Amino acid sequence: MANAGFGSIDKSIATLSLCGLMLIAVVYWFARYIEPKPTPLQGFTAPFVFGNFRVPTDNPLTQEAVELGRRLFYDRQLSGDNTVSCSTCHLQHLAFTDGRARSVGVSGKMLEFNSMSLANLMWGPQHFFWNGRVDSLEEQALDPIQHPDEMAQNLDDLIDELESDDVYPGLFKSAYGEISAENIARALASFERTLISADSKYDQYLRGELKLSAEEEMGRKLFMAHPDVKVSLRGGNCIDCHSQFLTSGFNAQFDGFSNNGLDAETLLDSGLQVATGQATDRGKFKVPTLRNIALTAPYMHDGRFSTLEQVLDHYNEGIRASDTLSPLIMEADNQPQNAANIRISLNLNEKEKRAIIVFLHTLTDHGFITDDEFSNPFDVDTKPDA
Amino acid sequence: MNNRLLKYWLCICLLVGLSACSREAERPAVETEQATAETTPAATQDSGGEETQALVLLRGLPTLGTTNSVAIVQMDPEAEDFGAILQEFETPDIDPPLHHIYYSPTGRAYATALDPKCSLVEIGLARDASGSPVINGADCIDTGGQQVGEDIMWHTVNGTDYMFVTFMGGTGVEQSDGGSVAVLDSQSNEVIKVIEARKSKVGDGEPFVMYPHGLSAHGDRMVVTSTIHPDLATGVGNSITVIDLNTFTPIENIVVEDATPVGFPSSPVEVLFVRPSIVPGVEPAVLVNTMFGFETWKIGYDETNKTFAAPVKLYDGVEQGTGVPLEFYGNESELFVSHSLPGVVKRYALASLPELVSSGPDIVADAGAHHMIFYPTKSGRKVIAVQNNLLNLGNAADNDPTDIDFIAKVNSHTVTVHDLATGEKLAAVDFRARYDKGIDNIEGLFTSGFVHHH
Repeated sequence: MANAGFGSIDKSIATLSLCGLMLIAVVYWFARYIEPKPTPLQGFTAPFVFGNFRVPTDNPLTQEAVELGRRLFYDRQLSGDNTVSCSTCHLQHLAFTDGRARSVGVSGKMLEFNSMSLANLMWGPQHFFWNGRVDSLEEQALDPIQHPDEMAQNLDDLIDELESDDVYPGLFKSAYGEISAENIARALASFERTLISADSKYDQYLRGELKLSAEEEMGRKLFMAHPDVKVSLRGGNCIDCHSQFLTSGFNAQFDGFSNNGLDAETLLDSGLQVATGQATDRGKFKVPTLRNIALTAPYMHDGRFSTLEQVLDHYNEGIRASDTLSPLIMEADNQPQNAANIRISLNLNEKEKRAIIVFLHTLTDHGFITDDEFSNPFDVDTKPDA
Repeated sequence: MNNRLLKYWLCICLLVGLSACSREAERPAVETEQATAETTPAATQDSGGEETQALVLLRGLPTLGTTNSVAIVQMDPEAEDFGAILQEFETPDIDPPLHHIYYSPTGRAYATALDPKCSLVEIGLARDASGSPVINGADCIDTGGQQVGEDIMWHTVNGTDYMFVTFMGGTGVEQSDGGSVAVLDSQSNEVIKVIEARKSKVGDGEPFVMYPHGLSAHGDRMVVTSTIHPDLATGVGNSITVIDLNTFTPIENIVVEDATPVGFPSSPVEVLFVRPSIVPGVEPAVLVNTMFGFETWKIGYDETNKTFAAPVKLYDGVEQGTGVPLEFYGNESELFVSHSLPGVVKRYALASLPELVSSGPDIVADAGAHHMIFYPTKSGRKVIAVQNNLLNLGNAADNDPTDIDFIAKVNSHTVTVHDLATGEKLAAVDFRARYDKGIDNIEGLFTSGFVHHH
């Protein structure tokens, strides 16, 4: 009996142990494989006048994704030597540019392009970067991380680093489930999509909250007008290329890439030709947002102009002819058709140029550059990139 | 007046009074064309299918327990959710309902309203985290006591942008000859001036403003129609008023009337100042639809001397078998005029204006043909959607006092969608049957602040 009794106890223990193991396995399985259920972004609204936008269905805007993306954006771990984060070249107080003609990454070499402002990225772009070389915000996010001169990070190494971090495993688990390159890109893209600038003086004007000054209004009208001498309409011709100036560009294939006359034929950079392979796209670069333009000097894809005055001078008297020069620029000269000595120039006077610049300053959104939601989430004494 | 005629007259009065009409949010953009690109950056963008989403005004029916609202409705006949209300914002405190929709040159949405307590409204529009359209408000604007809002136009005068609104009830619907045109600050919505000149106050032969409804402008001249008293019984107009925008004062009345097929004054309702910004190189002229006259008239304008010619009748509805002409709408090449009876939209070559030269087959809609929108379907087919009712009526069988279908039969409660080239009817939504609501207006699209007006 005793033996039988002990045998029964052994069986019970074995059974219980088996059940326990099974329970642990089930719990582990649930913990491992249950899909996270992130929280839809609360209280989010975007201006109607900016137009339609689409968030990828496989990367909806959620609180967890945005929080994770914000942390990644400011984290130097994303670079190979832990010295550079996304925010190194995208500083909030400069509307997420860096104030340099061309950015400098981990290699110390000057990069090919000027840092682009990050604002209102949900609207428009099908093709990112000055030369349109990637076609999604997610894809864009991984490009600089791996670029040898920018952040020089191996993605597998980065995943290992993040997995050994105290915080990231939990954040990824809540937002997406696992740590992967794809989810790193998703999170960064999500944060960048929330960088909405919609409270500049001009935004307030659109909402009817204030009036522009006489000079700002003059600049606005010049900005919006394609010159038409037949009806005595003088124009700065800006809107012809910058029709999406409040957002971040065009969403129709390669619309929004233009040769704005920076260089003569023999000196043209490849530009959009890199993405399309078409010689007709040589010298064309992305027409950037003009939101916060007063904060984002230097200007142009290579940062060749230090001031808005230099930019206006370029359009007024510095256009270089080439085969791919925008016809919109060639047509706009504010001169009668039979005027003598026609040359490519807007022929604006100093007062008009000044008014356009004054109007461009109304596009500055001070709330955007000081918004805590977009700021560095790290304690400045830990691993910051202030 | 015998009982039958009286009944018919009252019916028509009601129809006219509550029908609205034309706006100038798009066309007046002569001076404000630039604003389209300026404020609606998506205008040249892939709109993600939103170009088929109509912004509509719905009227709740008291006996069916439904509430007035502003809504966004899917109007692509190729979409699985054709006719579905995608978003709705109820306005239970505004009754009678909102009446017409306009977008300002800076992309703000407005609606006029028949409610004396709230005759002009700014509608809040936004997007949520998925990018979907959201209607988030309908705020009444202080009109300074002006009542029964009808048409809106944004126009620049001597370098200053203004918002003009006609109020058919003027500064009080109790006035027998009331009516006003409000001049508002286009930024703050504040009333700057009330243009009011009651016939009984200005003296014989002096220009007056009475029951103004349609309005249109070119340069420093504005024309407004004299339609009908809001109570639908006190009086009917038969003229337009010319307003000098330099001084905001009425300077001339022009009678637009010939035959009276139903025995009442002609009731000019909508007006379109044909001008070079609409038709390049055109000699300016004014087109007028007369609801009781069933006609369309032309009044030439000498821009040099700022004088208007004698009216000339271009279209006679009695001869053509149509009645109650209402709206002018335009696209890039054609002008469209809706005729509530028998429910048809006629079309004319824009380039031939101000003459009315047919540009294609009639669009045979339903009785009550009124407001309309133009858009491409998912496959790219160009279509026109026509709202077919003059009033927004309930069911007489339910003792709904707003139902007068038994008299006029111009309230189909449908929006019919037609191929724009051939006029073929492709689909229809019956709002009363589907939602227990009347549809008061369809003339705006959510996409990028674009709206079709004359």
